[in-house]
Amino acid sequence: MRVLLAEDDVMIGASVRRGLSQDGFTVDWVEDGRAAEAALAERVHDAVLLDLGLPRKTGLEVLLAMRRGGDTRPVLIMTARDAIADRVAGLDAGADDYVVKPFDLTELAARLRALSRRRAGRADPILAYGAIELDPASHQARVRGQPVSLSAREFALLQALLTRPGAVLSRAQLEARLYGWSDSVESNAVEVHIHALRKKLGADLIRNVRGVGWMVAKPDSEAAP
Amino acid sequence: MWLLLGIALAVAAAAVGTYLRARVEANELFDYQLKEMAASLTDAPFAAVPAGAGSIGAGSDAMVVQIWDRNGVQLFLSQPRRVLPQNAQLGFSTVATESGQWRLFSALAAGQVVQIAQPMSARRELAASMALRTIMPLLAVLPFLALLIWFTIARGLRPLDQVAAAVARRSPALLTPLPDSDLPREVQPLVGALNGLLSRLRHTLDAQRAFVADAAHELRTPLTAVHLQAQLAERATTDGERAAALAELKAGLERATRLVEQLLTLAREEPGVSGSQATTVDLAALAREVISDLAPLAGAKGIDLGLSAASASTVSGDADALRTLISNLVDNAIRYTPAGGKVDVALGNDGGGVALTVRDNGPGIAAVDRERVFDRFYRGGGAGGIRGSGLGLAIVKRIAERHFADLELSSGIDGHGLGVTVRFTQPVPPRTLAQDGGATA
Repeated sequence: MRVLLAEDDVMIGASVRRGLSQDGFTVDWVEDGRAAEAALAERVHDAVLLDLGLPRKTGLEVLLAMRRGGDTRPVLIMTARDAIADRVAGLDAGADDYVVKPFDLTELAARLRALSRRRAGRADPILAYGAIELDPASHQARVRGQPVSLSAREFALLQALLTRPGAVLSRAQLEARLYGWSDSVESNAVEVHIHALRKKLGADLIRNVRGVGWMVAKPDSEAAP
Repeated sequence: MWLLLGIALAVAAAAVGTYLRARVEANELFDYQLKEMAASLTDAPFAAVPAGAGSIGAGSDAMVVQIWDRNGVQLFLSQPRRVLPQNAQLGFSTVATESGQWRLFSALAAGQVVQIAQPMSARRELAASMALRTIMPLLAVLPFLALLIWFTIARGLRPLDQVAAAVARRSPALLTPLPDSDLPREVQPLVGALNGLLSRLRHTLDAQRAFVADAAHELRTPLTAVHLQAQLAERATTDGERAAALAELKAGLERATRLVEQLLTLAREEPGVSGSQATTVDLAALAREVISDLAPLAGAKGIDLGLSAASASTVSGDADALRTLISNLVDNAIRYTPAGGKVDVALGNDGGGVALTVRDNGPGIAAVDRERVFDRFYRGGGAGGIRGSGLGLAIVKRIAERHFADLELSSGIDGHGLGVTVRFTQPVPPRTLAQDGGATA
């Protein structure tokens, strides 16, 4: 899951990015409102973590512009404890949730996962597909109840595919999910991860649509394992 | 109460005065009477003395008449029971007898000595009754007078009571002006002065509240950072991760500490807090101290820091505050000037007073931002990723205001960067460093 973090304080931004990365998120960090808008225009992030007191363009302005432009991606605002008015304004401007500074990194990650679940229309925290179960909170994968060891990127790739069965994801789309701006991407990185996943979970789980990308079949189709 | 007591004393004094004066008059009157009576008795031969003469004024205060012939033989004694001296001294005399003091008048006529005696008590009684008659009406009106005084004073003091009640209702939360309509002219200056005080108090309190609110808000950011850094340190699984996380935590704590220190400095410079006295301060010496203190910091960034000119530079002021002022300016310049830059401190007198200038060749401040940089917690947008506390220049502004000094922003070295000039235009009066110089920040 790739998250855009908009926070002007260097220390807070660095800590949040590190903490979320440890929890398996791919985090891109911008320090002002204009940079946040530019990053949002790329359409590569799954969720936005927005500080309201951003320089150059406030978080509230960024949020209002997003919603007015039809951008429905989940937005989680970070506000101060005593700024109830800010929270209300943020939620009314279209934010989906908020955390109060100082906040807990674990809670922040859990709220981001909850937002992503809701966006996918699920209530069950466990992502299930056939015999495969993914737990985004603990980063555990199981096949028929047996734990399977996946690397963080393998897990993220599988999660991206299982979140929308039947949809074909291109290499660029998968790379965007897996790698932040600061990560260097090997040209065949996606193929390497898919190869590893097929080895661990079975060759027919991930299908290659030649020239387009990869997908997992819809569960009701006969191709389901 | 005191007024009433005074009036009572005055009445008593009047009574005593009246009594004394009445006694003098009674003496004159009775002496005259004695003399007249003696004359009437000596005008006629003894035989002609009316039989009833002895009964003149019968009673205790009755007169006694004695008549002797040339040989001292008593011819007549009007009241035999009375014991009076048997001798006679011509003219007036006063003698003491068993029955009190008597006033005597003796006259010699037709070979006879006529002596008329009258007790002094008669005179005192007359004087006392005269005095009493005089002060009786005064004593009678005294209670009414007391009532009148009480009523008048209560009425006169009512506006003061109302002002006192209004002042008693005031509290730090309620510092509205006192009502000043319908006030007697005597009370108006007092209420005016009180309202002035209330308004100054209100402004100071508002400024303090705004400051505390700002401070609490600003403290939250470094504390949030420390909170997150501590969580990362907790999560660290390897020694390397833990060391890195702890280093960041330490940096976060240093930032929070520095912010608290700067808040304290600013709080000390707030109006009405600092009570230090103005002394003569050598700015050049202070600048040299600050430069040597900050030289290591400049050296670490490869910045050329120095004092370029230092002419006559004595001002009167608070040495500690002025050191903070110079230190903040130089520290800011070092902070915002990129590695390899230059920071120059200059002192001079350009006719308009002693001027201290700190120049750098860093990024400078855009003209649009220049008005706001002295505001509390204002940070220049995108100043090369450098984030200070936002208090350095606010502190400089407060200290300059206290010293009646002007602040000017200009471009720095060779037209690049920033130059800040502090110009001490007027001497600070000794002992009175401005407590509220300029409007509150």
